[in-house]
Amino acid sequence: MTFLLRFLTRVPGRLTVITFAVLLAVGAVLVNSSAPRVWIGIYTYFCVTLMLVLGLQMFMGNSGILNWTYVGFVGIGAYVSSILSVTPSVKALGVPNMYPALVELHLPVVPAILVGALVAAALAAAIAWPLMRLSDAVGVITLFAALIVMHVIMTQWDNVTNGPRTFFGVQEFTTIWIAVGGAIVTLIGAHMFRESSLGLRLRASRDDRFAAPAIGISVVRVRYLTFVLSSFVAGLGGGLWAHYITSFSPKSFYVAEMFVLMTMLVIGGAGSITGAALGSAVITILRQGLLQLESYLNNSGVISFEVYGLTELGMAFLLIVMLIWRPDGIIGGRELHLPFLRRRIAAADAAETAGPTDPI
Amino acid sequence: MIDAEFLINTLSLGSLYALLALGLVFVYGILKLVNFAYGEYIMVAGYGLFLLGSYTALPLWVIMILSVLLAAAVSYLTEIVAFRPVRTKSLTAMLITSFAISVLLQNAALLFVSPRSRAVRLPAAFSQSITVLGVTTPLRNVLTIVTAIVLLAGLTVLMKYTVLGIAMRAAADKFTTTRLMGVPANLVISVAFIISGFLAGVVAMFWIGRSSSVDPLIGFAPLLIAFIATVIGGMHSLAGAVAGGFVYGLLFNMLSILLPASVISYRDAFMFVIVILFLLLRPEGLIKGSYTEERVG
Amino acid sequence: MLSVKDLHASYGSIKALHGIDLEVNEGELVALLGTNGAGKSTTLKAISGVLRPVVGSVRFADEEIANKKPEAIVKKGISLVPEGREIFTSLTVAENLRLGAFSSYQRSRYQKDLEEMFALFPILEERLNQPGGQLSGGEQQQLAIARALMSHPKLIMLDEPSLGLSPALVDQIFELVSALRDRGSTVLLVEQNAERALKIADRAYVLKNGRIKFSGSPQQLESELDLASVYFGGEEGKGEVTV
Repeated sequence: MTFLLRFLTRVPGRLTVITFAVLLAVGAVLVNSSAPRVWIGIYTYFCVTLMLVLGLQMFMGNSGILNWTYVGFVGIGAYVSSILSVTPSVKALGVPNMYPALVELHLPVVPAILVGALVAAALAAAIAWPLMRLSDAVGVITLFAALIVMHVIMTQWDNVTNGPRTFFGVQEFTTIWIAVGGAIVTLIGAHMFRESSLGLRLRASRDDRFAAPAIGISVVRVRYLTFVLSSFVAGLGGGLWAHYITSFSPKSFYVAEMFVLMTMLVIGGAGSITGAALGSAVITILRQGLLQLESYLNNSGVISFEVYGLTELGMAFLLIVMLIWRPDGIIGGRELHLPFLRRRIAAADAAETAGPTDPI
Repeated sequence: MIDAEFLINTLSLGSLYALLALGLVFVYGILKLVNFAYGEYIMVAGYGLFLLGSYTALPLWVIMILSVLLAAAVSYLTEIVAFRPVRTKSLTAMLITSFAISVLLQNAALLFVSPRSRAVRLPAAFSQSITVLGVTTPLRNVLTIVTAIVLLAGLTVLMKYTVLGIAMRAAADKFTTTRLMGVPANLVISVAFIISGFLAGVVAMFWIGRSSSVDPLIGFAPLLIAFIATVIGGMHSLAGAVAGGFVYGLLFNMLSILLPASVISYRDAFMFVIVILFLLLRPEGLIKGSYTEERVG
Repeated sequence: MLSVKDLHASYGSIKALHGIDLEVNEGELVALLGTNGAGKSTTLKAISGVLRPVVGSVRFADEEIANKKPEAIVKKGISLVPEGREIFTSLTVAENLRLGAFSSYQRSRYQKDLEEMFALFPILEERLNQPGGQLSGGEQQQLAIARALMSHPKLIMLDEPSLGLSPALVDQIFELVSALRDRGSTVLLVEQNAERALKIADRAYVLKNGRIKFSGSPQQLESELDLASVYFGGEEGKGEVTV
């Protein structure tokens, strides 16, 4: 028992990861066995979103840099994996202008998603080095500009993406089990990253950009490596997302979607995995509630005009209130910890060391 | 290619972009905040035109003035309600706040007005043409240039010859030290937001004058232009922002002419690649200002 | 005039002051000495409101001013000449001086005040329309002091005015500081150059690790306390004080 407790609490965040992983798995079993079909869809979507938010946390949470391009790399993962996994005949039909060479390419879903993630990571690796040198305002504008460039290319390159039109016919591969599996693996990965030497160095450079080099941290290097890693997760999540949603267009990978991911991360607390996971859950529930309300209002005829934007309005309002009231998020940048567990371990330790000399 | 028409078009576009960039840099200079909600002040002015024009019988020029003032008021309001409480927190918190305000205002327009674009009425002068230097051009273009000259002159006087202006320049240079002179922090920041909103409101009149309609997402394109122009000119000085606006106007018109038709749809991407290269090669912009990176605490 | 009681302050989670008690009477020149990181600048920042929040009491002219905003504290009559001079480099000398008078501007006396500054610092009149950034270090220090004096402070606090100046200029600055006192100003002077500061000070405090280690007259300080031990923390006995 003490062994287990010690294992759970020795590294900050380990408790969170195991708790969340168990909750996710139990939730999936419950939802799958007894909830209505629409819930299964929401749960699957939640798991994929959680993956994306965790990938965003890796870079943004640990470096403190507002990474606008993240959602662009999600898009690259989605497009690359879908182009590879969709059969040539469907592609010829759905994307009439596609390069013939691309139409011919075909891979099973799993390698297609992996290649999508690798392409996202490779592209990140190709462009990120100079971007990582910049900080503050200039850095923010550059990353924002980079997202716009990615978006323009997605909407204009219709030989590849079908332009601004919907890309459809993607196989529905991502089941609730695959999504939960992906979320749990990402959860563990994000945690291991945060506690790794690289993650630690990145957090040090976030806390003091000017002091970090003095203890031998190459700020640009640690940022760069994490950016590439985070983009890999983005691509992976994008692939799973595409194979759940089955049809999408470039506007799914732009500012509005970035706002959702960012809100999830910031409301929970960007500094920790607990925060990212908690924020994803809270916002998913809130969004679903507001969306239901919106569609109820529109369908029931209670009010005379159509309701648009209520969901985003609610989220933006909540985000502003949180930033004013608790800028470090619900969790405040810490990992989940249970004081009573710590006390029990301390007591157990004391008993152990005192053991031989203490005649009971 | 360089004829009188090109010149007038470029000057008018440049004037508009210069005002646009200036509004963004006023706030950046003092708070070091890249205000993502800046475009929404333009949208607000547009909806001012629409609502006042539809529901009141005021003369059009009064409606225009009120709409510009509305943009300034909303800018001020966002400062005291949202930015002031997070000012001492991290820069990222402030950036995300500005983004959230942007989303909030956009969706408020979506929810309370309509997702569809709304027609607005503007004075007849906005749709008339005039012949100058042998070129027939929309009167709007000439009005833009004249407005920019008047506003730039006015702001120059304000910044150079009034105590408030001196205090604002000082605050952009060293914020804490400015407070040690007895200048209230909230005063300079509020004034910066009011000027910023005012400039956005003025830009809105001409921006909306081109299409005579307003929609919830109308602020996004001008925001991007303001970003590009400030980056080209330099985030660190007001003169740089103005220069950046004119250079961007020129660049935009040249790319429109020079790029072959097949890649014209990539013009925005080209512009942003230029921005990124500019930031990487010359992060201080064309005009190196003296603003420091000191954050307001 | 200024009375600081049990003042605590910290930068984030790092505590910098652990209960400072300090008194400055009207017309006095008080020196605040100590090594790098002893908390001298922090004390001035806490008094002037730049560093907030603080715990403890700061009374000035029978009014509690702890945790007030810096702009409010200047209005009460405390002016800080910050470490590193902090000249507005893009503003002209004239504009720097005009801002100095911001808190207590009166049109009727402004011109007279300016002329008084030109009498004290003739170089400033010559450079009136040059940007502050083009001035040399010594000139900038003079501008910083003149700028602070423009607000007619009841108490002027100087943070390391001699730092980074050539020996000749250091002499000039110390002469100036003692001239300020002779003119009737109340001065709180932070210095690393303890020997020089003690020559002109009426009283002195020595700070170490965020606590007051000594207070008294310069003579007492020299006889009772081994300055070297204050500065180097050792017990090597009396030595030349070179900091």
